[in-house]
Amino acid sequence: MSARLRPMLEGDVVRAVAIERACFPTPWTSGMFVDELVQGASRQWFVADSPWGLVGYAGLMEADTEGHIMNLAVRPDARGRGLGTALLSRLLDVAAERGLRKLTLEVRPSNVEAIELYRKAGFRDVGRRPGYYSDSGEDALIMWTGDLSAHDARTIASTLAERASRALERFHLETSRADIEPQTHDGLILAIETSCDETAAAVLRDGRDVLSSVVASQVDFHSRFGGVVPEIASRKHTEAIVGVVDEALETAGVTLQELSAIAVTQGPGLVGALVVGVAYAKGLAAATGLPLVGVNHLEGHLFANVLADPTVTPPLVALLVSGGHTSLVHVPDWGDYHTLGSTLDDAAGEAFDKVAKALGLGYPGGPVLSKLAMEGDPAAIRFPRAMMHSGDYDFSLSGLKTAVITHIEAERAAGREIDLADLAASFQAAVIDVQVAKAVRAAKECGVTTFCLGGGVAANLALREALREALAAEGVRLSVPPFELCTDNAAMIAAAAHFRLWRGETIGPSAEAVPNLRIG
Amino acid sequence: MRLVLALDTATQECAVGLARWPDADTGEPELVGETNVATPRAALTHAVPMVERLLAECGHPISAVGAVVVGRGPGSFTGVRIGIATAKGLAQGLGVPLYGVGTLDAVAERFAGRDGLVAVVGDAMRREVYPALFRCEGGSVIRLAPDSVARPFDVATRWAAELDEPVLLAGDGLAKYMDVFAAALGARAEIAPPAMWGPTGGSLLQAAWRNGAPSQDGRAATVLPIYTRLSDAEEAERDRVVGPYLPGSGVAGPDAGVRP
Repeated sequence: MSARLRPMLEGDVVRAVAIERACFPTPWTSGMFVDELVQGASRQWFVADSPWGLVGYAGLMEADTEGHIMNLAVRPDARGRGLGTALLSRLLDVAAERGLRKLTLEVRPSNVEAIELYRKAGFRDVGRRPGYYSDSGEDALIMWTGDLSAHDARTIASTLAERASRALERFHLETSRADIEPQTHDGLILAIETSCDETAAAVLRDGRDVLSSVVASQVDFHSRFGGVVPEIASRKHTEAIVGVVDEALETAGVTLQELSAIAVTQGPGLVGALVVGVAYAKGLAAATGLPLVGVNHLEGHLFANVLADPTVTPPLVALLVSGGHTSLVHVPDWGDYHTLGSTLDDAAGEAFDKVAKALGLGYPGGPVLSKLAMEGDPAAIRFPRAMMHSGDYDFSLSGLKTAVITHIEAERAAGREIDLADLAASFQAAVIDVQVAKAVRAAKECGVTTFCLGGGVAANLALREALREALAAEGVRLSVPPFELCTDNAAMIAAAAHFRLWRGETIGPSAEAVPNLRIG
Repeated sequence: MRLVLALDTATQECAVGLARWPDADTGEPELVGETNVATPRAALTHAVPMVERLLAECGHPISAVGAVVVGRGPGSFTGVRIGIATAKGLAQGLGVPLYGVGTLDAVAERFAGRDGLVAVVGDAMRREVYPALFRCEGGSVIRLAPDSVARPFDVATRWAAELDEPVLLAGDGLAKYMDVFAAALGARAEIAPPAMWGPTGGSLLQAAWRNGAPSQDGRAATVLPIYTRLSDAEEAERDRVVGPYLPGSGVAGPDAGVRP
């Protein structure tokens, strides 16, 4: 086991505050950390991350050619293992990289341990700031380094860097549970997802690190029926769930006893399929005494974006498109969701699958159709763009599907060969045009600069590219998770659960599955 | 002695029981407590709270449970899965063995004190029943046929032709089809009181013990429902391919609940 240093993200603030409270009599608030993080390049903050969670952090403020160390803390149970040296060494390195000449800091004269650390890093006492600490009226000791580019300073820095890398490599904690409030912000979440035809389980650390993500797809059992058969899905979940969870725990190298919570998709989805996951998760939670978090599957798709890119933050608009959903959602803040519009009939993925089926491409034919479309002419056949100018954010795809199927039948009746690639490209273009037009309008009207894509159809390259281009023209950044986070998985459920747990939202032993659960 | 928790949600009732099982297979289980509540279409809501309440009433922490027993049906597909999935979670979470027992075996177990034939008729919905015949003799309960699904009239007619002794009828299928069986079996039929038609926490634990549950592998992953029917989609496919025929003993599970 080892620790690593990386830049601090907004998602780290909650845990940093917990460490802050355990370390200092006048701890920084989350607002103070956030204010630092939004300052851009004039601030450099790093955290020490480990399999036991966040264990320390340090930050530097630049003023001209000088740097001021704002804060440096190591979780009490993680001290004496060189993490302070590692964090300080990183700040020295960054200072050198950015061409800073000197560093300064204030420290309590009573904090002997810290003063010793700073002295080893080349800091010298230069004076006092009287009555600096408001809680005790203590003076602050002011320390400065010499010229960082001088030979002796560079020697110190490289010695420190060597010790730092050894310390990080060997970092180890005997206990997995630190005596720090609030407990639930840290730790490991096991999530279970059974809302449709994938039995999935994942272990996520600190809401960010996917230690394992296992997906047992049932697609082979459904394909010969041309779609998902709910009864078969429920049966397969029952057969697979224990093995999938075992594999997720094993791959993560984690035991049930080490978890801090269990999460399960509560809806929306197929009721019989959801029920298996919810019943199982409730049994597991009752047996282990762990808190249980109920997750909205759509919020999971949204949080897949955060897993892929932790800098994704609201306000944003998201397009959630899969075989079961097509919704545009405005997200002013995490947990605050407003569905701007959704499909009135078929979901986008469903339309792809049905058209593919009509062409004899098998199930699930959506991906095959998208592939064909790459070689076709999107303007070959003019299919209807339903609700393009409806003035709202709703979609309708069944008319398009019918138009395509009618076209296929008419061509066949006339004895004409159908150009599959042209047909696929024309159909796909009709779907994408409407989605993109509404997405761009939603981003503009909501005044956001971030747009998230989620759900299985987010894997469609043409949709991604069309969206990316149209949004970029409006100055809006598009976030798309990698393929394995777009399709149904439990890592995204764990990520959403981490947020819900942070809000203190858990469910009890009588919780139900909610097949028509809405996101807002 | 180990503390064993039992759960069944295959019928409209949720049955939960707690017993002490002897370490050797010579002794007899000792019931600690049970609770059986009508929970029509609400097993998911009630199963875990009922388990927690029973444990609290009996003064045992859940960590004291050394094995879990679950009713595998046949019954309502969703109902059976709720019980099985809950039990899998409980057993895996506790790190203890999970044993399966037939739900209809647990119904027959309630008549272990009698001598003679016991016919359990489970409600299979869609105008069908799950029939199962048992012989109770000198305190033992012996299953005479594997689990299956059939039309009530066909079952009643077959039993009327094959059985030439009195039959005690039980099972929640009687709520709809008591008349069919009474008419076919005539004077041979004795109907058990409705309160005796379902499994109980105690009868699950007793039937599991009687059927040698501790000799099962105890892996939570391998305990599966007894369905007796394929899914509709698979039935339709099979009808297209090979023509309709009556399903046999069941589909899923290592032994499909059949004990010779």
